[in-house]
Amino acid sequence: MNLLDYVADRWDRLSLQAWLHVSEVVQSTLIAAVIGVLIGVAVYRSPIGSAVATALASTILTIPSFALLGLLIPVFGLGALPTVIALVLYALLPITRNTIVGLAGVDPAVTDAAKGIGMSRTAVLTRVELRLAWPAILAGMRVSTQMLMGIAVIAAYAKGPGLGSEVFSGLTRAGSANATNQALAGTLGVVILALLLEGVYFLIARFTISRGIRG
Amino acid sequence: MSSTTEIQGFSTESGSRRADRVRLFAQPVAVVVIVGLVLVWAFTRSNDSIEAESIQAGVLLDKTWEHVLITLVVAAIVVGIGVPLGMVLTRSWARPVAPLFIAIANIGQAAPALGVLVLFFLWTEWDGLWAAALPIAFYSLLPVLRNTIVGIQSVDPALVDAGKGIGMSSSGVLFRIEVPLAVPLILAGLRTSLVLAVGTATLAFFVNGGGLGELVDTGYKLNRVSVLVVGAVLAVGLALLVDWVGALLEEYLGPKGLT
Repeated sequence: MNLLDYVADRWDRLSLQAWLHVSEVVQSTLIAAVIGVLIGVAVYRSPIGSAVATALASTILTIPSFALLGLLIPVFGLGALPTVIALVLYALLPITRNTIVGLAGVDPAVTDAAKGIGMSRTAVLTRVELRLAWPAILAGMRVSTQMLMGIAVIAAYAKGPGLGSEVFSGLTRAGSANATNQALAGTLGVVILALLLEGVYFLIARFTISRGIRG
Repeated sequence: MSSTTEIQGFSTESGSRRADRVRLFAQPVAVVVIVGLVLVWAFTRSNDSIEAESIQAGVLLDKTWEHVLITLVVAAIVVGIGVPLGMVLTRSWARPVAPLFIAIANIGQAAPALGVLVLFFLWTEWDGLWAAALPIAFYSLLPVLRNTIVGIQSVDPALVDAGKGIGMSSSGVLFRIEVPLAVPLILAGLRTSLVLAVGTATLAFFVNGGGLGELVDTGYKLNRVSVLVVGAVLAVGLALLVDWVGALLEEYLGPKGLT
């Protein structure tokens, strides 16, 4: 059976797993975006706070995903919970770091002008600074999403949902019929979904970055 | 002006020099303390016979060495292929094919590491060190390749002209001007590649390549949390140490005149 026949034959299961894969990655990215932006907003005015936040987040990213997953299993058991926790932790660095960079890069003259026309501190943050930092934050989310697509495959080891289970059963069934097709379908599926998400980010950037700062 | 730059791809660099300096000191200390505490805990608790089979100095050293070996082999392949390939692709006669190689390396990194590893195993039916090292090298090649190309391309053309003007041959310009100026970026790429390699090497046991991931798997399959934790913590410690070595290389091997 060649790959196309295989995919056509197992389309129901594969499409469900593809959907679960994308859904866990997108949800984890969104959770990480909320936490990351909050951390960024909290520390960007303090050089020491920024250094500590980025140092911690980059240390987390250095941890091998399989080891982190292993450590999460005894605490949170198997399934979606340890998977989402691991994915959110990995997504934090690019988002936090880009939020800090984006916020720190806002021209002080612009924020002064906003204060000068009577905007409150919150209004300056939400209506001026965060909007100017948005392209950087979005770029961080894009990098995180791409990373998580690959890490989510490993998470299938902890019985997390998604296409990783195809790769794993291809491995355990090595030598039997369709083992390679199964692993290939899982791997290529992740690559194709990652490319699709890349396209989605392009569209989001097109429609959400204010016209004045669009490059 | 801020000292940080936006992140555009996988990189563990925090991007701020202050954060880097914190990590340069804090990281090795944290590794020694945490790994030390976990080892003391693992060796002093009362292990049953299954745990005792894994938690003994010989086994832990073996697995750590296998892990280090994979990382070293991958680093050698990545430097041996990435840097020369990057140098060739920046020559004017090779410009048209450069995007092709970058695209291949990009796909290599976009593909899930575990998928690449498993497919290589299924196709070649090899196992052991090379079955793990080759796909991991393919997976971690991109940062060094890309940074070599970008590093050489961003050398000020005036410097290249000046080199030619004083009568340097084109290889003289490459090795005495372009490459030395690109070294900081190449080292940054190497650090990223090393971190990818040491992280992916935890998956090597899936293709019988050994490494610390095997302890995690043993602990999980036999339901012995202590073995799992020891394996995972050693893997984390090793990854942080490798990243730290990468940071040291960046700090001390870069040309002094540039920073």
